[in-house]
Amino acid sequence: MAEERIGVYVCNCGTNIGKVVDVAAVASSAMEIPGVAIAHSYKYMCSNPGQEMIVQDIEENKLTRIVVASCSPRMHEGTFRGAIRRAGLNPYMLEMANIREQCSWIHDDPIAATEKAKALVHAAIQRVKFNEPLESRTAPMCPSTLVIGGGVTGLTAALELAEAGQQVYLVEKQNHLGGNVARLDLTAPYLDSAQDILRNWISRVERHPNVRIFLNSELIELKGFNGNFKPRLRTEDGELLELDAGSVLVCTGFKEFDASRIQQYGYGRLPDVITSFELEAMLRQGKLQTKSGKQPRYVSIVHCVGSRSQEFHAYCSRVCCTTGLKYAFEIKSALPAAHISNLYSDMESFGKGCEEFYRKASEARTSFVMFAKNQLPMIREADAGENCSMLITVQEQLSGEEIELPADLVVLMVSMEPQQDASHVARLVNISCDKDGWFIESHPKLDPVATTTDGVYIAGACQFPRDIPESVTQGRAAVARILAKVAQGNITVDAVYSEVQDKLCSGCRTCFSLCPYGAIEYNAEKHLSHVISAVCKACGCCAAGCPSGAIKVRHFTDEQICNQIEGVL
Amino acid sequence: MAVRANPDLIDELQGFGAKDVVKCYQCGNCSAACTHSDDPYVFPRKSMHYLQLGLEKSLRTSLDPWLCYYCGKCSDQCPRGAEPGETMMGVRRWLTAEYDFTGLARLLYRSWSAELAAVLTVALLTGAGFLSFGFLRGGGNLSVYDGPGAFLPIHAIHFFDWTMGIILGALLSINCLRMWHFTMRSEHTAPIPLSLYLRHLLLLPLHFFTQKRFRHCENKTPWATHLVLMLSYLTMLTLIMVFLRDMQSGPEVNWYAHSFGYLSAIGLVTTSILAVHGRLKKDAAYHRHSHESDWMFLGLLLFVSITGIVQHILHRFGFPMAANITYIVHLMGVVPMLVLEVPFSKWSHLAYRPLAIYFAQLQLAAQAEGKVPLGTPAKPQPVA
Repeated sequence: MAEERIGVYVCNCGTNIGKVVDVAAVASSAMEIPGVAIAHSYKYMCSNPGQEMIVQDIEENKLTRIVVASCSPRMHEGTFRGAIRRAGLNPYMLEMANIREQCSWIHDDPIAATEKAKALVHAAIQRVKFNEPLESRTAPMCPSTLVIGGGVTGLTAALELAEAGQQVYLVEKQNHLGGNVARLDLTAPYLDSAQDILRNWISRVERHPNVRIFLNSELIELKGFNGNFKPRLRTEDGELLELDAGSVLVCTGFKEFDASRIQQYGYGRLPDVITSFELEAMLRQGKLQTKSGKQPRYVSIVHCVGSRSQEFHAYCSRVCCTTGLKYAFEIKSALPAAHISNLYSDMESFGKGCEEFYRKASEARTSFVMFAKNQLPMIREADAGENCSMLITVQEQLSGEEIELPADLVVLMVSMEPQQDASHVARLVNISCDKDGWFIESHPKLDPVATTTDGVYIAGACQFPRDIPESVTQGRAAVARILAKVAQGNITVDAVYSEVQDKLCSGCRTCFSLCPYGAIEYNAEKHLSHVISAVCKACGCCAAGCPSGAIKVRHFTDEQICNQIEGVL
Repeated sequence: MAVRANPDLIDELQGFGAKDVVKCYQCGNCSAACTHSDDPYVFPRKSMHYLQLGLEKSLRTSLDPWLCYYCGKCSDQCPRGAEPGETMMGVRRWLTAEYDFTGLARLLYRSWSAELAAVLTVALLTGAGFLSFGFLRGGGNLSVYDGPGAFLPIHAIHFFDWTMGIILGALLSINCLRMWHFTMRSEHTAPIPLSLYLRHLLLLPLHFFTQKRFRHCENKTPWATHLVLMLSYLTMLTLIMVFLRDMQSGPEVNWYAHSFGYLSAIGLVTTSILAVHGRLKKDAAYHRHSHESDWMFLGLLLFVSITGIVQHILHRFGFPMAANITYIVHLMGVVPMLVLEVPFSKWSHLAYRPLAIYFAQLQLAAQAEGKVPLGTPAKPQPVA
């Protein structure tokens, strides 16, 4: 190892690290370690001058390996790998010591923290000596896309991909396209007809030569990996069909909350307590009436049914406030004499044009009755002789009075829930669900439509309650991601992945059950397991579990890890 | 016991001038801006909400509207242009109608033509009555204004004034009693011991004469104008009811009485012209909206003041016949103004406002002494 020349760079991170850790002392202690040719501290290593310092040192001092002691590698590993690549080194000849999140941010004692930083840097130096140059590889990319779900998100995405000249397979479980939007009458806040919006979309998708639509069909298996998926469908006729798709876009949408779960609203028991979707159906048919065929004089709209509750869903379904306001307009235009009240706990009519919409609903004489989240209104049948069919008792928050509202028709703004089979779909395409059952995105802010499985994207209300514009935006965002990959023509396979050494593998398949990404194939003829490098995320479960020690994770070799451990000690 | 919401209440109140209440979204900026709004009398927010929800009973039993003087701060602060100040004004009109047992107030407030017809009828009856009295039972000669043989003898006018005063006072008292019944005997308010009523009785004249609460409004102009108007009116009323003899005899000027008369005449004319000007210009919130009853009130006040001044001048300058005719015309304004406005319309607030302050003080005192529970609805439950 005598010929290795290691450069060590210790970052102040402004004052983030420097105010607790004596970075100059860390740098000078690194100088004493054999193999270290140069050690510097600097205010911001990630800045352009900081990176330039590394590049220049590599060139002038013939450095062969680099250690950067700064923040978490999650933040800037890519930055520094890029810098040393520019200087002609293999990017994997870099090691980072996290002396910010794992040191300065969590310790107060400067002396102890500095000692800990020295140890972390020492460990990184010991490890980097054993790092091996690695290269990422490329694999061919199939340009077609499988879109799961034919709602407004899937339709938008399918059309966008098809217009870009790519083949799309659109799979829809139901016998028609349109999803939940097909159940709506008008859309808020501009009161455009949902049917008009959809009809245009659907006919364009249906006519498009690049889109193949599978109605009444389901995905039953997804084999393959990013760029080369092999989805298997069960089609309308019960046939099994295998397709080739480079990317998979999941836009399976939502279903509505079962309102009968809230006993005191009487859904299912009182005939004129209906859900928002049932009201939409009435509005579409132009028959706004009670079960007994009368015109309702008092209509109450109850918000947050299943949303924002300890018992059901803690999250806000986001679209119901504005939709409830929309009903005020629709009901007023059908029945001008009707009295409309909104029973709410918070009014959150957000988004473009929605505050104005709220104001207009208010001016159109809709009353707003506030209940406490822990004290839901109670709906009961009115006694004979009353001028209404139901009475709603509310502990009204803004007047402080317990009030009784007359009602002939009660509309429950049911919350949005993940589809019944969301967890099944998640398993099929190998993505995860959060505690409520929504699909989890790769990064909530920076990568909202990708997932932790490369090549599988999510968009629309399968990820969280979304309105139409947001769903459409997400659908198009996912298309942009897919088309960017298609334009490259190849997929890049990370250089870090597991490898099975065939001569040590006994074919026990322990690794097969441990792999969370389905990256391990089994060759029954040779009795050998094999890692599909494009699918592997290098988590190391297989390597740790292999009873024969046959699996090696590139960039995480036993040698590297043992030396790192020794270094820290 | 749950309060039944009456969604039609808002329609009714719109007839009383509460037009923009639907715009309110209960942010509470109005109550925060108001110097008088304080727990448990939180207004205008709460009154606005009672109205939006149709909580008729809560509104009827509330003292809040009378604790507001309409300085207009709330309306200026309202982010939605809901004009809370004007709503409070509308609620006061509605409450006046609710307190009035005859139902006349409701009719006059809600129908401009009914109000006009009522004023004209009373005016014509007054004119005809005084003319026939003058010819048949009085001096019989229109060109005698005062002294022996006067067309309208002072003792007769005196008798008429007092009779009318007693009748109107009785009507207003009945309405005040109803106000007490609604606000102090509701299920929200436990009975208050008589001793407390007596202990705080002085609040009534105090607030009646000084209007010191009004002074606490941030905008002082309305208070100053209102005080001048009220004192001028009161002075004139006292002069007429008690010192009519000194006022009417002449033609020489009785300075000890007339100096007061001149001052109050100046006060009445100036303040009513200021109010008319403000209502036409509409630049202050409290003048932005004018109900028909506001114009009728100002119109009658100006008419009465000017005819009063004119008949006085004609009398002093030796035109007894013209003075007599102007006097009858003047009475044709005075009588409808008092008969219609005092128990059934805007003038009634001279009683309701001090009473509300008195009642509110009683409720607070009773609460402080722990004798009775808080005289307001239960507070909202804290949200867990």
